[in-house]
Amino acid sequence: MTLAAAPPDRVSSPDVVAGLLARSVLLVTGKGGVGKSTVAVALARLAASRGKRVLLVELESVSHAGPLFKRPVGAQPVDVAPRLTAVCLQTADSLRHFALQQLKVPALVNLALRNRSVEHFFQAMPAIKPILFLYHLWCLESIHGPHGDARWDLIVCDLPTTGFAIGMYEIPRTLSTVFRLGPIAGYADGMQKLLGDPRRTGLVLVALPEEMPLVETIELHAAMQRRFGVEAAAVVVNGMFPELVAPADLAELRAALDRPGTPDAATTAPANSDAALAAWRWAAEVVASRRQRATEALPRLRAVVGDRVLALPFLFRRDLPLDAIDGLAARLGGQDGEPR
Amino acid sequence: MTYNALANVLDASRVLVLCGSGGVGKTTTSAALAVTAARRGRKVLVLTIDPAQRLLQALGLHGHGLAPNAPHEVLPKRAADLPADLAVTPGGSLHAMMLDAESGAIAMVERLLPDKALRSQVLGNRVYRAFLPALQASPDYIALELIASLAEAGHFDLVVLDTPPMHNALDFLHAGGTLSAFINERVLRWFAKVPQPGQKARLSLLSAGTSMAMAVLGKLFGHEALPDIAQFFASFQDVLPRLKERTQQTDRLLRSPATAFLVVTAPGETALREARHLHGVLRAHDMRVAGFIVNRVVQAPAVLRGEHDAATEALHHHLTHHGHGADRAHALAAALGAAARQLEFLASADEAHVAALEQLGGFGSLCTVVGQREQDIHTVAELAQLGGALLDGLRGHRTR
Repeated sequence: MTLAAAPPDRVSSPDVVAGLLARSVLLVTGKGGVGKSTVAVALARLAASRGKRVLLVELESVSHAGPLFKRPVGAQPVDVAPRLTAVCLQTADSLRHFALQQLKVPALVNLALRNRSVEHFFQAMPAIKPILFLYHLWCLESIHGPHGDARWDLIVCDLPTTGFAIGMYEIPRTLSTVFRLGPIAGYADGMQKLLGDPRRTGLVLVALPEEMPLVETIELHAAMQRRFGVEAAAVVVNGMFPELVAPADLAELRAALDRPGTPDAATTAPANSDAALAAWRWAAEVVASRRQRATEALPRLRAVVGDRVLALPFLFRRDLPLDAIDGLAARLGGQDGEPR
Repeated sequence: MTYNALANVLDASRVLVLCGSGGVGKTTTSAALAVTAARRGRKVLVLTIDPAQRLLQALGLHGHGLAPNAPHEVLPKRAADLPADLAVTPGGSLHAMMLDAESGAIAMVERLLPDKALRSQVLGNRVYRAFLPALQASPDYIALELIASLAEAGHFDLVVLDTPPMHNALDFLHAGGTLSAFINERVLRWFAKVPQPGQKARLSLLSAGTSMAMAVLGKLFGHEALPDIAQFFASFQDVLPRLKERTQQTDRLLRSPATAFLVVTAPGETALREARHLHGVLRAHDMRVAGFIVNRVVQAPAVLRGEHDAATEALHHHLTHHGHGADRAHALAAALGAAARQLEFLASADEAHVAALEQLGGFGSLCTVVGQREQDIHTVAELAQLGGALLDGLRGHRTR
């Protein structure tokens, strides 16, 4: 009996991971707090380590990539590591980008956007954020270098919320309803082709092995299938609690802790024994219930997306610096990043 | 009498807004606080904008095909589910409501446009209909308008709002002003010059400036789409004053002393950073931040942290007493001890995060801490228990 004697959970399926990295856009989404940003950065680092030129895209949030790479990440793409560029798109900048594409003349753009009520009008338009984001993403994906090759091999998007992801997939249909002709109808068509082509775009759902995030992940996957005919390219389960104590030992410990200390034992037991035993009961319950939830999560997700489930271990820390994320990336890539 | 700053917020506010980044337990916390306020005798409505129906699940109302955007009674209807020590004070009640942005938008148009003909024009408008499903990405619009009308109607003493997971706190705070920025006099004036569907342009009437504006609008949207867009805006012409008034009401309500904001967070560097950011944004917008609720804290019992060796000895003693050989007892105790050290490590990191938030809140700000639950909440009784734990978890809790 040794600590964590069991092999680590099978964390990676090389074919699934290779399939992810072969696409040109990965959209990473999931319920809040499940570690979307961590997974997005891990995927970006893994792709870069395999020689791809990667763009990591965040959206109007407090940038996670900035503190991680220790340099400001804003509306202009900035190289943060070898073969890895990061950008944090802001609606106002995407609007300017869109206006410039339409009006061509910077002076006219300035004239149009200088007016505060114009700016407010656009910022207040329903669904403007997913529209401009998707437009901007579509433009980024189609940027080609002087030799006709794509500027980036892979664009990894850290999407804010599941609601945003659904809203974004809705956009091409919305736009083509309102704009049946003209430039925007053409863009809507291009965006639809990008989102609808599983060889170009992969949807990555991130989950935790806990009840509500699991239910929401399964519901989101069903909604994406039903509404848009989209299948998740992968589901990443974050924070798989490891087997800290072998199951048989844990069962034995819990059984013993459930038995009362006898009056006879009380005389010889160390002081404060009751409090100590209560504390051990707490520890045993936490270890057992979290491990149980982790092991139960995988079959439930596999029932929905088959073998496209990847798992990442729970790390016993509250900060996640870059080297810790690289450890996760290595695990995704099929290497056991940590010594047993 | 015991004074509890969180209980005081529940007793004295008319609107309580819980905000925070996703996944920190906002929805469950909102429901638990709403149950607690109802138990303390208030007439409470809890409103969730979260597209997943988690709140209704926690309230035991999940999957019953309940209509969105309508209050459903939870207490006293289900008071029998509460144990005697968690009973509801007479007069207290709780209703729960789930916001659906799409049908909420239709209801909002109905409230704003009493004129039937005009209303069917808006509801039938191509632009409006196309954007309805997309509203799911920005439900804050509808929520704030609904809150204002609910607070105005006066059926409830307290409205608890569980805010949507937001990637930008400003979105929500600005939502009140958002609609009137989208539909304002100036914008209406631009589109007023565009011929509506079936009308012919009277170009001779256009000034040079307007022609220019038309050219820009046409370039941006395509000339083909302009008439429908124009019709959409024209429909709102008459209700603009009402819309503005509504917005100002909402805005006043959010800034009034009757409204309190609570920032919900959980341990972890990212959550802490977002809580700091949110706290700063709310303060900068003159919102009254009552304090922080920190969920999912690992609270390792003190004896494991302070007296690990003595605790291990007690475990060893217990195991040998119950028939394990010394070696076996030693091995088992060592295995659980090593696992517990990992949890202790999380506990001390969490403690540091809580201390940082307390310091950020400063004087007069409350901070309440609840432990990570190992089981999900399924019943009203469990929500009431959690509400009790939230009151008990108040830091610096003092009596007078």
